Amino acid sequence: MTENPQTRAAAGCPMEQASETFRPFEHQGMYEFLASVRGDVPIFFAPEIDYWVVTRRADIEKIMPDADRFSAELATQPVFPWPDSVGRYLEGRNFSNEAVQVACDPPRHTRIKKSAAQFLNIRQFMSYEDAIRDLVRGYIERMRGQEEIDLVEALTYELPAQVVFLLLGVTDFDPKKIKAWGDLRLHMIWGDPNEHDLDTAARDLADFWDYTVDLVEARKVSPQDDYPSKLLALRDGDDAVLTENEIKSLIFGLLIAGHETTTNAAGNLLLELLRRPNQWQAIVDDPSRAKNAVEEGLRYVTSVVAWRRQTKEPVTVSGIDLPKGAKVLLSLASANRDPAKFDEPEMFDIRRKNAQEHMAFGRGLHHCAGAPLARLELRIILEELTTAFPEMALVDDQSINFTRTLSFRGPNQILVRPCG
Amino acid sequence: MVQFTFIQPDGTRNTVYATPGMSVMETAQHNGIGGIIAECGGSMACATCHAYFDADTIAKIGASEGNEHEMLDFAATPRSEHSRLSCQVEVSEVLEGAEITIPDSQV
Ligand code: HEM
Ligand code: FES
Repeated sequence: MTENPQTRAAAGCPMEQASETFRPFEHQGMYEFLASVRGDVPIFFAPEIDYWVVTRRADIEKIMPDADRFSAELATQPVFPWPDSVGRYLEGRNFSNEAVQVACDPPRHTRIKKSAAQFLNIRQFMSYEDAIRDLVRGYIERMRGQEEIDLVEALTYELPAQVVFLLLGVTDFDPKKIKAWGDLRLHMIWGDPNEHDLDTAARDLADFWDYTVDLVEARKVSPQDDYPSKLLALRDGDDAVLTENEIKSLIFGLLIAGHETTTNAAGNLLLELLRRPNQWQAIVDDPSRAKNAVEEGLRYVTSVVAWRRQTKEPVTVSGIDLPKGAKVLLSLASANRDPAKFDEPEMFDIRRKNAQEHMAFGRGLHHCAGAPLARLELRIILEELTTAFPEMALVDDQSINFTRTLSFRGPNQILVRPCG
Repeated sequence: MVQFTFIQPDGTRNTVYATPGMSVMETAQHNGIGGIIAECGGSMACATCHAYFDADTIAKIGASEGNEHEMLDFAATPRSEHSRLSCQVEVSEVLEGAEITIPDSQV
């Protein structure tokens, strides 16, 4: 049986209350909110953003892989459309980035994924393990001797970007540029930016696109052992495999996909561990626990809290009829704490047996292509930090702040005393 | 219904009744068998549904081919000649009595 949302809303039911209470960009209190609605409200409408929010794992698990009925094309579109001036500016800068992976549907997605997966796969990623460990150790050396540091600034912000550059065959990237280019990028699409931020962000975006174009052109002339060279070799001049612009777009997209997602995942995980010194100590005592701790971190405080789809035909979700074209926000944060899947879901426990069954990386054909790399980075960070600073402790009484975006959650700063 | 057995890395055995037409991965998930993670939901993009099939069964259902064969290179636990992606194996009569061993790690 299906229910009319208007009738329910008029009755002042929990669904209407959820609509009113939900703050899509506010991470403070998000989990408490989700826990309070999940039981009664599997789906509700969020008027501020014009999306239907889905809260239960069982529904999300069905929707994500269902490319026949749910399109992913809006996944990277701005939540609030940009003014025309931004489009004109980007056009003037020859910004020709196109949707190639996370925001396109089959058969296009299938074709492109086939090539991308030749490089973005666990075997390839594992070959970077030593290089990533060296990078992490380099950051750790610079932390030594300091009484107080911000872990985000000292390690987790830059590292994942440097790792993406490793995949691109770039080992001398200027860290200051990472910050400059990264700062507004996500805010521009998933946030609620003001005009000034948008202008700056558009300029940064276009600068990064230029960098991507130059990189691909350089690899055409002298190929290396890296992702762009691999894509160019697979293409072998054949547009039916991949066009050059698609390759540039894949390279461009990789930094966006692999940077803050992982920065935030590392920040979230470290924060939860340091809040529970006995669990930090458990990893100090036995570093082989790092692997499952990473999974529990991804479950308990995922960095991609929500991901988007749009209906391609009328569908019914948990009894609510959605028309064709309805925009749907899938709360991965909620799915990861659904008691239908996890016992005592509100507890953070690095020994949890089924932690790896979280949905932090999505589900289905778009399932995160970088998941094994993210896991590797997070594990190495934990192993190296617990070894170098077994006594690390949070600085007392700090307030933890999150950037306001629809999809991404991670602390802006984590102040610690490395030696306790 | 077809009957076969999942064997966990620690030796625990679970025998299940499976519906022909479903995949072995779906059967595992349906029966709450741990260790078949199947993150990509059967679209052959993750290799987290890797499993080892006993020799007789592999002889009957055939070894992996094509994309599945390539993807198995990316499994977290090294493949063997008995490896298949369980999302690509359809339940049918030939699986009667099969023993399907779950690898140590999928991620
Ligand atoms: C902990 C860190 C990360 C999280 C939580 C994460 C999460 C996600 C999510 C939720 C999706 C969309 C899934 C869907 O639509 O069903 C996705 C897609 C993707 N991710 Fe990640 N990601 C992370 C790190 C990375 C890294 C390090 C890379 C690469 C260097 C990466 C590359 C990609 C790519 C290429 C896609 C698109 C796949 C496709 O559409 O075929 N991600 N990720
Ligand atoms: S479920 Fe992902 S490859 Fe089988």
